[in-house]
Amino acid sequence: MSALDRRSLFRILGAGAGCVAFSEADRARAAALEAAPSALASGPGSSRALQWDKAPCRFCGTGCGVEVATEGGKVVAVRGDEKSPVNKGLLCVKGYHLPAILYGADRLLYPQLRQSDGSLKRISWDEALELIASKYREALEARGPESVAVYGSGQWTVFDGYAALKWVKGGLRSNHLDPNARLCMASAVTGFLSQFQSDEPMGCYEDLELADDVVLWGANMAEMHPVLFSRILESKRARPTVRIVDIATRRTPSSEYADLYVEFRPGSDLALANGILHLLVKNGKLAQSFIDRNCVYKRGIEDLEAIGYGCYGEQAERYTFADEPKDSNFEEFQRFLEDYTPQKVSEISGVSVAQIELLATLYGDSKRKTLSLWCMGVNQHTRGTWMNNLITNLHLVTGKIARPGNNPFSLTGQPSACGTVREVGTLSNRLPADMVVTNPEHRAKAEKIWRLPEGTIPSKPGHHAVDMFRAFQRGELACLWIQTTNPWVSLPNLHRYQRKPGDGKFLIVSDVYPTPTTDQADLILPSALWVEREGVFGNSERRTQQWNKLVDPPGEAREDAWQIVEVAKRMGMGHLFPWEGDWHEPMFEEYRSFTLGVGKDLGSYEQLKSTRGLLWPVVDGKETRYRYAGGHDPYVAKGRDVHFYKAKGYGERAAIWLRPYHPPAEVPDAEYPLWLCTGRVLEHWHTGSLTRRVRQLHQAMPRSYVELNRADASALGVKSGDTVRLKTRRGAMELEARVDGRGQPPRGSVFVPFFDESKLINELTLDAMDSISKEPDYKKCAVRVERVEQGA
Amino acid sequence: MRTRAALSLAALALVAACTGESSSSDGVAVPGRAGAVKSSASVRAARRLYDGAPPTIPHPPLGAACTQCHNARGMHVEGLGFSPPSPHEETRGMSAFSRCNQCHVHALEGGEFVANGFAGLAQDLRRGERLYDGAPPVMPHGTLMRENCSACHDGPAAREEVRCTHPARARCVQCHVSQLETTVFSRP
Repeated sequence: MSALDRRSLFRILGAGAGCVAFSEADRARAAALEAAPSALASGPGSSRALQWDKAPCRFCGTGCGVEVATEGGKVVAVRGDEKSPVNKGLLCVKGYHLPAILYGADRLLYPQLRQSDGSLKRISWDEALELIASKYREALEARGPESVAVYGSGQWTVFDGYAALKWVKGGLRSNHLDPNARLCMASAVTGFLSQFQSDEPMGCYEDLELADDVVLWGANMAEMHPVLFSRILESKRARPTVRIVDIATRRTPSSEYADLYVEFRPGSDLALANGILHLLVKNGKLAQSFIDRNCVYKRGIEDLEAIGYGCYGEQAERYTFADEPKDSNFEEFQRFLEDYTPQKVSEISGVSVAQIELLATLYGDSKRKTLSLWCMGVNQHTRGTWMNNLITNLHLVTGKIARPGNNPFSLTGQPSACGTVREVGTLSNRLPADMVVTNPEHRAKAEKIWRLPEGTIPSKPGHHAVDMFRAFQRGELACLWIQTTNPWVSLPNLHRYQRKPGDGKFLIVSDVYPTPTTDQADLILPSALWVEREGVFGNSERRTQQWNKLVDPPGEAREDAWQIVEVAKRMGMGHLFPWEGDWHEPMFEEYRSFTLGVGKDLGSYEQLKSTRGLLWPVVDGKETRYRYAGGHDPYVAKGRDVHFYKAKGYGERAAIWLRPYHPPAEVPDAEYPLWLCTGRVLEHWHTGSLTRRVRQLHQAMPRSYVELNRADASALGVKSGDTVRLKTRRGAMELEARVDGRGQPPRGSVFVPFFDESKLINELTLDAMDSISKEPDYKKCAVRVERVEQGA
Repeated sequence: MRTRAALSLAALALVAACTGESSSSDGVAVPGRAGAVKSSASVRAARRLYDGAPPTIPHPPLGAACTQCHNARGMHVEGLGFSPPSPHEETRGMSAFSRCNQCHVHALEGGEFVANGFAGLAQDLRRGERLYDGAPPVMPHGTLMRENCSACHDGPAAREEVRCTHPARARCVQCHVSQLETTVFSRP
């Protein structure tokens, strides 16, 4: 703070304490209100007469309930919904500032078409929809379904995702539909699928209060899932025996509350988890009878050369690796783990032998309930599926699973990554309710529900997200429609995806504000946002939440699902959306029919309307807090404690996977000596296109920066506030340095948030991917940091 | 040196108390002190996106624990000012308020990324309703995370309009109840 600031503060302080009061203006307003109570329904000051309606928060995957106050057709306030079992009335700073995201001055209001000189021209919806229909029709006729694609979002409502799925797979007969959620939780999907043959966690948020040991694997919950972190802190306050363990590559605000902080070298979590498994076996801590009854052993391809990283050689163009699961057994598992002695794991990971032993004691203590939580650190990982497998292994081998307080739980970053992407199945290989396009029975079921001829849905999986943009760059896609997401900020190695509008490809972007992605678009469509339309989201704990439209969208903005339905109708595919009038409820009920009787049962639309969300499976109107758990899950027969009934291919048992340690795709060397990790901050959500338009959030976090370790900073001669240059093999940029800020990376690594569109850190990141999920690794690449002559 | 730094930190923390933007025309002028203002409903509103939103922090980051000054009773330093108490001090259940910055953020600089036309709910300036003259007024607001009534209704930070006349009676909710619903009872 400058001396001037300080002086002016003292001058203000000089006003003295004394009592504080209404100003004359306040007093006049109060008197007017007291005198004319009938005028209260309009104008400010009428909080007592407000209508408060329920909705889920628009931001992260926590799915907090908010109550929304509207007045004069505008949202004027929100409050944490005390009736919501998720947040019980609390919100975070983003949630409290949620209503302002609707009112940024540069909302997109009309369809706009890019002209040959690069300018945008307003066109009518009718023109826009006809144009999209004709472009897709032309592409289909000229080059077939391989040439069209849709890139969607975990912020899509269930309606948007379902409409897109049905149109692309049932109408266009293409599987080139993939979401941005491929970039954030695909590894959790492949993790759960490979172990339980059914996606999504078995536990729920109640686990946060019931666990004795809460283990964070690379998740900075204090900033990214603040309300859930509050539930953990409150549990610890009420029960001081609760312990929080933070396993991370960087000290974060979450670390401040941890009883144990375990710092490992980037990527070495694979070795660490295997080291814990090694000790559990060695110390006789396996729940042998649980394993015998409920588990099988599996292993896949482990050859580093065969798997690769998706970013080198031929893989840098197309990455299609597929794992080949084989049966394994306990003896093989034991032999496999012999490699991971505490000494060896300590050498790989940098974690002390004592800490590895402590973690093994913690997971092996049958008297204490253990909850493992993870998000991007584990999922955005070149072996993310493996790491998901290994964390779940820790719970399977100790029997600490599918019981209240004992669960592996994957957190999600988008409000409907679960509801829309994972459950509706808006991925290139999937169909609703755990079904896949590669299975003929699954395709047949979808075709039957959709009343489509047999053989309509193609059996070959389409492009995964990164591959979709590589294909677009190669010119293989003639039409690409992006909705509710901002890939020209969020894709890794962004330099690869430069284009000029008018290059023969047709790019449509539906969004609410101008972004670097709309800058690339040939056609921009204005979307309705949050409570400007009716919707359904599904959160991390399997909770399906419905809300009603509360205000009109601005200008001509329309909901994404409507945009898709209207284009489908113009392409002669109106039979996909046959409903007259308001199609929300019938569309949801059709989608719901996929889920009934298969353990993914959603509540009826009517029931969802009147509740604060329901945890599926919902059977006979009752939700399920713990899947696969006797006494909780209606699919588990009476008398059984645990039953992994979805894993038909494994004899209804869960799979313990043998997964080795592999090094990251790029490691620091003499030329690029530091690790670069990217991520998020409390104040901004993802690419910042919503939160940066809220003054309070913008002013609290105006721009990106790079966090440096104090030792690295002093070696470079850099102090907080100085400008430094970051260079990787992909690009370079200048950023403000922060030393000992809210996060403290260890020596040899730096951290940069990715929300700032004027500092596109993804131009520097590497597009290495998880071999199975094809989710990129944004957390590990090599960087050089240089001091920039200050004042230059 | 360390002591001096700590003292100036403590002093700065007090700015949060009852003072606001000195330029605010809605502020209450302090006699004999040019440019100085006391807090007012308008100053209160300027720190919130809408009534009910968590206030932003009107002083710079100080590097000290917030609760050092914003504790259950607030903190007064002669000649400087008063740091208002935390209304969350009694909060239990969901609200682990040890992470203040989860909801309250600083304005590190001015300006906007893009202008925003949001017009938030204004504070209800009326007094709480009374059934009859002399009856205890009902609360015109909810109580979640405002369990420490005295934070706003007692002590130097309390505005005179809402100052409690009987702070010795410890259990406020015995007589004053919250009014969140606008419905009227009817038999099912």
